[in-house]
Amino acid sequence: MIWKLLIFILMTAVIVLSFTTPAPQQAIGEASRIMYYHVPMAWISVLAFAMSMVYSIQYLRGRQLSYDERALDAARLGFVFCVLAAISGSVFARVAWGSFWNWDPRETSIFVLLLIYGAYFALRGAVEEEDRRAALTAVYSIFAFLTVPFLVFVMPRIMPSLHPADSVVDATISITMGPTVGLILLASLVLFTSLFLWVFYIAVRIRRLQRSDLKKED
Amino acid sequence: MDGNYVAMTVTIVVWAGLFLFLLRLDRKVRKLEGRWR
Repeated sequence: MIWKLLIFILMTAVIVLSFTTPAPQQAIGEASRIMYYHVPMAWISVLAFAMSMVYSIQYLRGRQLSYDERALDAARLGFVFCVLAAISGSVFARVAWGSFWNWDPRETSIFVLLLIYGAYFALRGAVEEEDRRAALTAVYSIFAFLTVPFLVFVMPRIMPSLHPADSVVDATISITMGPTVGLILLASLVLFTSLFLWVFYIAVRIRRLQRSDLKKED
Repeated sequence: MDGNYVAMTVTIVVWAGLFLFLLRLDRKVRKLEGRWR
């Protein structure tokens, strides 16, 4: 319980600081404050898709359906955070570039990522038999994650983009933020990660309950 | 700056709502887990 209260208090502090300290990028202005939420959302989607891949590998090694369910829950949460990152990014785009969607390389890559994981859910819905569905989607999840580093980190950097490229690190991987901005962003990243792990843990427990319920019915 | 305070208040209200929802869900799940043991 204490860690949950700690998450609440610290996240509230991050929200207050994100709106009351000077804007992280003076050249962009007030809209740059969205970075404190947009960057952690994008990070969580990458983390969740990575977890989905790891659970998929574990399923293929042990053929336990609980791993397949965890892979699905991680992919679902990753998809939700990916949508949130796209929405927060398009709000920023409206303020900074005058339009919600410009088909900028960053926007295109997140759109492609959403399509790839949308296809993962479509594949799950298309196969009826449990073990076959789990095996097929596990293989798909592994290949889907291979595209994530390219779409999130490589493609937007090798193509000319309007997206701020050096707000966290520059081309030489040196940190470009001031200490206050860095501290708020780091705290936000840690708290968003804790929140994601909490939600994921709840989802896993609900699955476990559903499984034991089904066993009892049998 | 006034707009920032409005945005901050809205964000805190949304966050508090989400937190309470998760807390209740967590408790409900724990209660159900207790019944299964």
